[in-house]
Amino acid sequence: MAEMEPGTLITLVTIVVSGVGILLGTITPAIVEGRAVLKALEGMTRQPEAANDLRTTLIISMALLESTAIYVLLVCLILIFANPLLERFFPGG
Amino acid sequence: MEGFFPQSVFPIFGIWVRDTVISTWIMMAIVVGAAAVVGRRWPEALEMLIDFLNDTISSAMGRPAGPYLPFLGTLAIFVAVANIIGIVPFVVSPTRDINTPVALALIVFFSVYYFGIRAKGLRGYFKDLASPIFMLPMELISHVSRTLSLTLRLFGNIISTELIVAVVFALVPAFLPLLLVAFSMLTGILQAYIFTVLAAVYIGAGLEASE
Repeated sequence: MAEMEPGTLITLVTIVVSGVGILLGTITPAIVEGRAVLKALEGMTRQPEAANDLRTTLIISMALLESTAIYVLLVCLILIFANPLLERFFPGG
Repeated sequence: MEGFFPQSVFPIFGIWVRDTVISTWIMMAIVVGAAAVVGRRWPEALEMLIDFLNDTISSAMGRPAGPYLPFLGTLAIFVAVANIIGIVPFVVSPTRDINTPVALALIVFFSVYYFGIRAKGLRGYFKDLASPIFMLPMELISHVSRTLSLTLRLFGNIISTELIVAVVFALVPAFLPLLLVAFSMLTGILQAYIFTVLAAVYIGAGLEASE
């Protein structure tokens, strides 16, 4: 730790934060989407005539839920490939 | 990861044209050519496509899709073809560049106002928008934020599946990426469906009278 180059600490923190962030950011929407599918399937088996409406609503709400995971992914991609902090504190490095 | 993100290719009048723009031109040529050929040889196929779009958009809007079908159907076909054109070698998906989803989402953003004002008039539309007056800021913020989420959803889904394909290709070059390419095609079609349905829902919500 004594001979650390400038920027190594930021890179290290970035990698750890990306890993933890993508972990939490995918687990939560996955659980919530699973519950949404469960409820929709229960509704479909109980009332098969409402299956089409339920399917459309399910797909739309899944897309809305899924986008939270996508936000986390985009933040992690920006941190990994285009880290603004590295360029700000160590220009040209 | 060099060459994965969009690159500028050549300038026209001082504006750099990116490779995603060139693949958009290729895509437009393909779609127009396919529509001409299919429309002459198998018109039933086009009718099936239009019927499907009509049913989907009508059920999403909760009203006959008639006047909105050309706009939303074009959007659906554009996004679907743009998402799956990336499987052609040397052609990148136009939706991989964030500027394409931004442009599409802005078109949806302005078309909500356009269709709403055309249906209800300028005064009627803004009266419905601000029916309890304190809801007006909320409405405007939600219009902006849902445009942002439309953009990021499309862009993030496409770039994530393509990134997964690229990473798996770097690790296991044989056969395994093929399955993921099929998966990315499925994701692309699904995202086009979701984009169209959400645009239809937004336009339909803008048309509804609040009384």
